[in-house]
Amino acid sequence: MNPLLMSLLLIIGLGIFGRTMYYKIQLLLALGPVDPANRFNNIVERLKNLVILAIGQKRLVGRKREWIAGIMHAFIFWGFCVLLIRSISLYGEGFVKGFQLPIFGHDGLIGYLYIALKDIMEALVLFMAAYAIFRRAVLKPTRMHNTWEAYFVLVMIVVLMISDLMLDGARYNLITLFNNPDHLYFFNNPKFGSEFIWTPVSVGAASLIKGLSAETTSWVLTIMFWIHITTQLVFLNFLPLGKHFHVITALPNVFLKSLGYPHEKAAVLDLENEAAWEDETLGLNHIHQLNWKQGLDLYTCTECGRCKDVCPAYLTDKPLSLNEFNDDLKAELFNNSANVIKRANLAANLNGNGDAEDIEAIKTQMAELNSEKSLVGDIISEDTLWACTTCRACEQVCPVTIEHVPRIIALRQGQTLMAEAYPKELNVALKGLERNGNPWGIGYDKRADWAEGLDVKTMADDSDVDYLLWVGCAGSFDDRTKKVTTSLVKILQKANISFAILGTEEKCTGDFARKVGNEMLYQMMAEENIATLNNYKVKKIIAACPHCLNTLKHDYPQMGGNYEVIHHTEFIDQLVKSGKITLNKSFEGSLTYHDPCYLGRYNEIYDQPRSLLNSVAKDGLKELDRHGKESFCCGAGGGRMWMEETIGKRINNVRAQEIVDKKASTVAVSCPFCLTMIEDGMKELAQEENVKTQDIAELVANNMA
Amino acid sequence: MKILTTVKKVVDVELNIRVNDGAIVEDGLQYVINAWDENGVETAVQLKENNSAETTLVSIGGDDNADMIKKCYAMGIENGILIDDPALANADSSVFAKVLQKVYEKGEYDLIITGKQAQDTDNGQAGIMLAEYLNIPCVSNVVAIEVMDDSHVKVSRLGDAGTEIVELELPAVVTVSDSINEPRLPAMRGIMMAKKKKIETMDLSALGTSIDDLGGADLQSEVVEYMQPEARKSGQKFEGDAAEITAEVVGLLSNEAKVL
Ligand code: SF4
Ligand code: SF4
Repeated sequence: MNPLLMSLLLIIGLGIFGRTMYYKIQLLLALGPVDPANRFNNIVERLKNLVILAIGQKRLVGRKREWIAGIMHAFIFWGFCVLLIRSISLYGEGFVKGFQLPIFGHDGLIGYLYIALKDIMEALVLFMAAYAIFRRAVLKPTRMHNTWEAYFVLVMIVVLMISDLMLDGARYNLITLFNNPDHLYFFNNPKFGSEFIWTPVSVGAASLIKGLSAETTSWVLTIMFWIHITTQLVFLNFLPLGKHFHVITALPNVFLKSLGYPHEKAAVLDLENEAAWEDETLGLNHIHQLNWKQGLDLYTCTECGRCKDVCPAYLTDKPLSLNEFNDDLKAELFNNSANVIKRANLAANLNGNGDAEDIEAIKTQMAELNSEKSLVGDIISEDTLWACTTCRACEQVCPVTIEHVPRIIALRQGQTLMAEAYPKELNVALKGLERNGNPWGIGYDKRADWAEGLDVKTMADDSDVDYLLWVGCAGSFDDRTKKVTTSLVKILQKANISFAILGTEEKCTGDFARKVGNEMLYQMMAEENIATLNNYKVKKIIAACPHCLNTLKHDYPQMGGNYEVIHHTEFIDQLVKSGKITLNKSFEGSLTYHDPCYLGRYNEIYDQPRSLLNSVAKDGLKELDRHGKESFCCGAGGGRMWMEETIGKRINNVRAQEIVDKKASTVAVSCPFCLTMIEDGMKELAQEENVKTQDIAELVANNMA
Repeated sequence: MKILTTVKKVVDVELNIRVNDGAIVEDGLQYVINAWDENGVETAVQLKENNSAETTLVSIGGDDNADMIKKCYAMGIENGILIDDPALANADSSVFAKVLQKVYEKGEYDLIITGKQAQDTDNGQAGIMLAEYLNIPCVSNVVAIEVMDDSHVKVSRLGDAGTEIVELELPAVVTVSDSINEPRLPAMRGIMMAKKKKIETMDLSALGTSIDDLGGADLQSEVVEYMQPEARKSGQKFEGDAAEITAEVVGLLSNEAKVL
């Protein structure tokens, strides 16, 4: 069309874009003294995630609660994918009149199908963008915050669609009304007919300008072309500046997501490393300590607010709003970008430098480049940090697979290890853990008292058993949970399972210590437990608590403890399926189930508990509104069990109310913390007589044949 | 200001302590810092943080006390002295007080803080005896302390009739109650750093004394035998309808317990 102008626009547009991207990537690569886990392994699985989550937009269209917004976004995204091909051919047109891409630009079946698809997609994107504007301006969903940026981008999308449709409309008019004075190219294969039979939307657009003269129509075509190209380049350059960066980074971010465990596992910190203590590199204290994947997460956050919309802390008025959290970290990252890069260059000089004085000098320079702001206190508040229950609801819904919890735990490590600034109310539980291996601090020698008279062996008595029953602290010491343990033992004995317990040799797995950032105490617990388990050559463990399950199964292998770990609901379900236990459908009343976060979202155990409950309940199981993957936390995870909840509403009361509203007479749980929290919630609401809280093991034990 | 605190290692009273043939069964026992001494350490560290003070702790026992002393370092105590002498195995409060007296005389401290008693023996004597031997003032069961100037502190003690506020001229001994503060957990960075920190270990001769000097040959008190307290009978629990339960309880009280 005009090679000179086209070249100029491309050089400016792509040049600026390239420079921005170069800087953004450089910043990412400068992040982190510690790299995330390998993100380039298991390519097939990664591609599968890419197809399902990113291209398939699963978390957008697949959520019942918000499918309309999901469809809207998905069509805009798919539309853009389709239009990418069209854009390339338009760039070609800028240089060479009548430029056509191979295959897509040829009048074969694929060419025709493509233009038809492009035509429909442009209409759909236009419609969806219009709806998006309407939604923002009129419907105003609470989770979103409206910014001019969002409107600007939507308007650009509208302009892009209209300009391209009008361009084709003008072309149609020139060809059909004016006998194609400019000799424009169009498909006209006798087999498939004229191109325009396939593009009803463009033809519709043409009818809007059919009164114009040939010359004016020709002008319209030219103007629309340049508007389209310019808008596209402005759009491209606008993306990296704000939340729309996700248009570029979402696909790589999903491709590079954590595999095997829902998020990056906490690294086993080397606490013996004196330099780490001196350089304050344990935990996350300053922005440069984020790893590159966490940086990419920040680039990718779309600020959609889906995360906070399901966050128990946010929904009960705690000052934890995840998209703001992301935004604040991102601002701190960009404010320090030059220093972060300089610092990383200095760090590179450290490697291989043997001179002690040099090293000291470099380290001093590096320390000077640290942000003056500490992440906790200056960027996000203490109350924000400690409000999180690590329930993962946020991560489960995030359409672009951003990981919040590992970051929160790393920040807590920084607070606990370096700053000594953790909630002091945790001291009692931490001290109890240190001295007696349980957060209540009850004498460790009373750990197996619950088993008195139940004919339960300890490993010390006889370690030649098939299973170790891991009882957990609550199951050992808490009076209410001891009843659950007793029921579980009854089931195992009924099924003739060969099992033993560790008795007084068992200690807290250290889950809560790790979640509050006390890596030292966690490692102490883990080391002692692993030594005991390995000493008895334990292979298979039945865990009666999802937190124990998760720690034994996913954290202990990092420290040399490798076992096959199974939750009691999974195990009982196997017993039922294999006929070792027969259940009666004898439970009367309306039964519902509360999914524990560490069983569901962390370990994907959703079906087995349901299968058991359906087998005992006469009227079947009635689901809560928020269940399965979107279950609402009880409020106890992440060490919150051992802290007061003084801000806002109480999470457990909110959940209990939801259960009451469902008119359930019994709520089943499968976690001792959920049991305590929900039962307490029922008491608080004076509903404990109307709604009983029971562990699945109790329901099974009471309804066995 | 120089502060001396004393810490004793005691058996963890959360555990079931079993007795066999008049002696405590050591198997399965674990030892922890005496809770009141931990309050004393916290008091010393807080005084150090809020005023300019130097903190030293002294402990009497074997080298297995080192762990506990290092944890106190991690809480913020600067110097540690361990008096390790087998001759002290059967010592009583009076002997301990005399050992502490020697330590005091070596270091010239301004304020001595002890826990008001030890969780194992519950004697509550060492601190008070120490003040007596040194002939300096002593306030026990202290719940608050405030430095007035270099040579005076103001303390609150919980007495029978209420809180008494006492101004003390230094040097002096205070024995603290557990309600004076909530001891911090040892700082983790401190635990790492404390690994390398030295403990000044001395036996009695290094302290310039001997067990005879301290009255060890003629103990004023001696443990003759340990006995297990009788286990309390477990109570009876009633569940069900309130009216039925009431009738049942009344029946039991009048027929079995014969109190009605
Ligand atoms: S973290 Fe994910 S869910 Fe939350 S605002 Fe960002 S993109 Fe949306
Ligand atoms: S893990 Fe749960 S509590 Fe924590 S931020 Fe995410 S949704 Fe909120």
